[in-house]
Order: sequence, then structure tokens, then C-alpha cells
Amino acid sequence: MNNKLKVLRAMRNWSQAELADRLDVSRQAVNAIETGKYDPSLPLAFKLARLFAMPIEEIFDDGFEGSSDDN
Amino acid sequence: MMVSKEAAMTTDPAEKRQRPSIVWPILIIFATIFLMGVAAGYLDAMREAGGNAPPTPVVSGAVLLGGGAAMLFYLRRVGNFWSGWSRRKRLYWGCLFAAVLIGALSVIVARSGTDDLSINAILSGALSPTAAVILAALWVLGLTILIPLYERVIDDHERQAYLRAGLASYYVFIIPIPAWWVLHRAGLAPPIDAMLLFLLAFLVNLVVYLWLKFR
Repeated sequence: MNNKLKVLRAMRNWSQAELADRLDVSRQAVNAIETGKYDPSLPLAFKLARLFAMPIEEIFDDGFEGSSDDN
Repeated sequence: MMVSKEAAMTTDPAEKRQRPSIVWPILIIFATIFLMGVAAGYLDAMREAGGNAPPTPVVSGAVLLGGGAAMLFYLRRVGNFWSGWSRRKRLYWGCLFAAVLIGALSVIVARSGTDDLSINAILSGALSPTAAVILAALWVLGLTILIPLYERVIDDHERQAYLRAGLASYYVFIIPIPAWWVLHRAGLAPPIDAMLLFLLAFLVNLVVYLWLKFR
């Protein structure tokens, strides 16, 4: 899953360790999410959304282009 | 760019804190243990060569004091090293430290009463009943307390690595054991070696965990 975590973090001039501290996770977790090697759990995704004051879907992109009517 | 201006402005440069790193304390601990080992080996070699070496505990104590001083220097420099951590992070590192302590105590108990420092002596040497009871209690009680605590304090990413590593090590048991068992029944293989399988499972667990955690 693609995400904008690296960009959002860079805009705030935070290091991976600083972001990890704010989320109370390890630096490796932040790195793994940024590089797309790991998709965070829903609670962690909500935590990220609250931290950056953005909806989850603006931070993460699952590549789905259709509207909800397509379902 | 999908980031709103408000969101981008939530950062205050003044919030930037100096973050103490766990790397230095770990390096200091390992360096102290390494130097203690080197000093003990050097003193033994001196004695074997007929030299007059100072007692090993005195030198080891001095190295330990040096390591303690280095740790105190670092802790004073970074200030909020421990108190600045979250409760989860304190418990997490506490668990890891306790696990290392159990491992170190196990080695000390396992080699008590012998001067042989080889891995073979530690793993296969004669063991007194007292030492065996202490080792078994350390292993069972230590892991029974530490594992549930560890599982509660790890973050999402580490939990995934931990669970997948556990699954991989489980496969080390369920895949080869039935095959080995039928081969043994047919007289084509020796009896199942539980310790070999345990060590193999442990190794697989460690490799998968480290790969998923640090790749």
C-alpha cells in the first residue's frame, strides 16, 4: 500500500525516530511503513491520521480508483 | 501535494527535542562485557606463563566501574533518557534486559564448578542437580513471566515479525518430525533428536524475526 508518510514527516522536519516517539512505536516500524514493507494496523493508522490531522485515505492509498457505487 | 497548509503548520521547530539513543547504552554494555572477557583471558595467559597477575575479580571490577562511569556520563548528558520514554518503551527494554540477564545467569550457572569456557562444556558438560534445578526454574519462570509481558508491549510491526517468526519455527517441528519419525520406524534414520529440532527452530525463529524487523 502506498502512503505519504515520508513526505508528511519531511514537511514537519521530523526524523523517523521523532515520529516513532510521537506514535509510541519503534523507528523500524516507521521505516517499514514508509518503505511499504509493512501496512500498519487500523489503530496505528488512526493514530497517524490524528497526528497529521488528516483523513486516513489521504495518508494511505490502496490503489482503488472506483467509487463506493462500484461495490 | 495533498497536504493541507494547516496540517503542515502543526510543526513547531521549538518542539524539536534531543532524543537519547538506546544504541550508546547497548554499546557501552557490550564493550564492558567484551573488555572484561579480554582482561580475564589476558590475566589467565599471564598466570599460565608464570607471570604475577593481579586477581581477576579486581581487574573485572575495575572494568565494570569504568563501564558504569561511561554509562553515567552518557545518562547525565542526555538527561531524560529513561523518564523521557513512554511506559511501553520502558517495559519493552526492561523485558529485553531481563531476558539478557536470564541468559547471562544461565551461562554462569551452567559453567559453575568448571574452568572450561568452551561452548561444548557449557552445553554438554556435567551438571549438578542443584544447577539443573536453578537452570530449569530460570528458564520456565523467566519465560512464563517475560513472554506475556513482551507480547503486551511490542508495537504492531514487531508483533507481526514475532508472530511470523513463531509460525516459521512451528513449521520446523510439524514438517520434519513426522518424516523423521517414519524414517526412524523403518530403520533409515536415528531416533528423533529433540534438542537438535529445538535449536533449529530457535535459529529459524531468530532469522525470520530479525529479517522482518530490520530489513
